[in-house]
Amino acid sequence: MGETKINLRNIVVGICLAILSGMVYAADTGMNLELPTASSFYTRNYQSLNSRSFDSQSFYSTAYLLAANEGDVVRELSVVTPVVPESEFKPPLISGRKVHQYLGLGTVMMAGLTMLAAPESCERNCPPPSQQPRQTSGTTHTRLARATAAMAAATVLSGLVFHWSDIHWEDPFTDPDKLHARLGAAGALLMIYAVNKSAHSTEPTSHAPIAELGVVTMLVAIKLTW
Amino acid sequence: MMQRKLKVAALLAVILSASSAYAVAEDGFWLWLVKFNRQKGVRPVTDKQYLEECEGCHFAYQPGLLPAKSWEALLNADALRKHFGVDAELDNDTLKAIHDYAVDNAADKSWYKRSRKIAVAVATTEGPVPLRITELRYISRKHRNIPEKMIKGNKGVKSLSFCDKCHTQAADGVYDVDTVSIPNYPDWKE
Repeated sequence: MGETKINLRNIVVGICLAILSGMVYAADTGMNLELPTASSFYTRNYQSLNSRSFDSQSFYSTAYLLAANEGDVVRELSVVTPVVPESEFKPPLISGRKVHQYLGLGTVMMAGLTMLAAPESCERNCPPPSQQPRQTSGTTHTRLARATAAMAAATVLSGLVFHWSDIHWEDPFTDPDKLHARLGAAGALLMIYAVNKSAHSTEPTSHAPIAELGVVTMLVAIKLTW
Repeated sequence: MMQRKLKVAALLAVILSASSAYAVAEDGFWLWLVKFNRQKGVRPVTDKQYLEECEGCHFAYQPGLLPAKSWEALLNADALRKHFGVDAELDNDTLKAIHDYAVDNAADKSWYKRSRKIAVAVATTEGPVPLRITELRYISRKHRNIPEKMIKGNKGVKSLSFCDKCHTQAADGVYDVDTVSIPNYPDWKE
């Protein structure tokens, strides 16, 4: 008797589970918005048959075969393009061009931080440069300066890769993209030169004006195409 | 230290003066220089009458897509009677308002980047005054790699003239490649 009770309970539980899973499936099907609900979709979407890149939507193509079999519709198949159901377009968050943009802005910001992290220079009763302590090796200023130079180089490189098609030889000197490319590259070179100049000198050497000129040049380049 | 403080102060002064100039300046080089908002495309249409009259038949092309001499040739009573094969006649007051708006904001009078590119390209191209945006060297070059099947053979586009079919932010004057979505070819990449 006890066994029978257990079996009955198991059966009831099994039936309940089956019903529940069936309800879940039914609910999913009801909410699947990708399934067309209007019958007109099947007859109007006959163009999809002509598409090679429409394999994932083969369901619709099959539906057409069932729904639209008129002679004039079939004749149109060879001339019309596929109609893909429209979805709201969202621009990509990241793209090659955006990477270039972020690198350029990042370079200018890093250059600003480098300027603020520069070691204090001697203002009164200063010893000659050869006797002044070398303060730039391993400091925050040095690290930031190197990162800025690397970012500047990456900016120029990404610009060449992702904006190559915007530069044309037949365009005049004043074309905004040409000016942007020239000034951006010049700014990056000036920054790299400033870092290189300081790194290879054995005593404190004036390199700030060159780096600042590089930043201003790059800012003008950005503004021209902003 | 003093020198650095001076530099930072000078930078702040430039930013502040630029911001104040932004509030009072007329549109022109100085306003363009101090504006922080993006001016990469063409200036969006702000004139309600221009928008209503043009949009009645087609996408309201921004004046910054053609130079002033093109708008002069397009927006006069004679030209509008056969406006690309269609009679688009307007009353004198409306025509004057639309003409003036288009000419005042034409590509060669705008600081927006694409307008400057169009103006520079037109200025250095020999030949008659361009009347079609799609025939501009800059525009045709930008679209030359797009196969015919995606434009003329595409039921969702039909012609290069329907800018807003693919340029999803065309009404805002934004024509970036990142905002392009060709109908029926959602996977298209430049």
